[in-house]
Amino acid sequence: MAAPVQARKTVEFFYDVLSPYTWLAFEVMCRYQQKWNIDLKLRPFFLAGIMKGADNRPPAMVPAKGQYMTKDVLMLTDMYKVPFNWPSNPTEVMFVKGSVNAGRFLTAVDMSCEQYLEELTRQLFLRIYYRDEDITEPASLLSAAMKAGIPEDLAKQLLSTIKDQTVKDRLRETTQTALDYGAFGSPTIVAHVDGKPKMFFGSDRFELMAHMLGEKWHGPLPELAKAKI
Amino acid sequence: MADADKKVIELFYDTISPYSWIAFEVLCRYRSRWNIDLRLRPFSLAAVVTETGNSPPGRVPAKLKWMGRDLMRQAHFYKIPFRGRKDPNNDMANKDNIKPMFLLTAVSMDCPQHLERLTRELWLRFWSREEDITQPASLEAAATAAGIPADQTAALLAKLQDETVKARLTETTQEALRHGAFGAPTIVAHVGGKPHMYWGSDRFLLIADVLGEEWQGPLTELAHL
Repeated sequence: MAAPVQARKTVEFFYDVLSPYTWLAFEVMCRYQQKWNIDLKLRPFFLAGIMKGADNRPPAMVPAKGQYMTKDVLMLTDMYKVPFNWPSNPTEVMFVKGSVNAGRFLTAVDMSCEQYLEELTRQLFLRIYYRDEDITEPASLLSAAMKAGIPEDLAKQLLSTIKDQTVKDRLRETTQTALDYGAFGSPTIVAHVDGKPKMFFGSDRFELMAHMLGEKWHGPLPELAKAKI
Repeated sequence: MADADKKVIELFYDTISPYSWIAFEVLCRYRSRWNIDLRLRPFSLAAVVTETGNSPPGRVPAKLKWMGRDLMRQAHFYKIPFRGRKDPNNDMANKDNIKPMFLLTAVSMDCPQHLERLTRELWLRFWSREEDITQPASLEAAATAAGIPADQTAALLAKLQDETVKARLTETTQEALRHGAFGAPTIVAHVGGKPHMYWGSDRFLLIADVLGEEWQGPLTELAHL
């Protein structure tokens, strides 16, 4: 008689595409979908809402920390084979332009056709953090959607819903769910183990997460890189 | 293997920093696996935080809660007897926390062979047994537990307020700041004549990479505790 198949463990990935470290964590989690017995659930949320809800501040407000993170992100993305480039004006990208439309669009896709959510997320990361392109204008979101394989008329229809109350509410709810798990930044990863939620912050807790999931950490698996440039 | 081949790794640390304890134990274990020359550099985290305009992470309630859980998980994973404190924010803000750093500095100057054990004893007191590390009796107890002979301990305690000791602690802290430090632990790996600075106890994959070594996990079989 065959050994009983262990049920997949749900891992919720709460994220905002505005955060470079989130891209690292996102790519690692997508690669490990194939290696670990997990059911990865992507949960787009709103980082500005998390910061406000947790009374936190962006880390780069400390100059020496900002300088360190600039180099740290480049070293990590190089090792993890994520095609990252710093935008020419990161302050404007992160603090002026923001991500509310992108978050709502990801939410709309999550609600209607979640099979495209992973690739749309990736295309938005490639825009903001590989090609230094906008992610706030409708035309930008449409371009990302089509590169993600979403049919044009479906993409346009979803884009028309991003100011709907249902979409706004859903983004707010997801953000609140993350706050209820104890989130204070992005990414916030919640692994459900033996019926208990285990929250992890950041892109540098995978070895620990593996240990708690009863899985093995094989490093960042650069050979499984999916971001095509 | 020639000592000249060994790559110097400096660990700038402060007793009040729990993540520094993790980095310390990991680096101590990896001395037997990596071709490194580990140099312990006690510094003042409080001074680094002030000078860089930083603030303690425990200021954000959700972050403080998470750090408590994170540290317990890491303690279990790395087999380090970290048990936390009931009021970490308050205890870490005590200005007298500089005193164990003066003691560690004096030891680094006069009898560095005791530096590793004394460092560990201070962490065990503060973060494992929730004991004091600021009073002379506490520092004496730590020094004794670290195997420092009684007369040496007395001499060390007598010079805690010496200008030379204070100056050395300031110098070490300034050195860390020049490397770009803004917190603890600050690890500097010297490779190919260049310093590579890392913050925290979660960059060992990158450190292994720059050293041309391999990360072999927590090496709990080499736990000293």
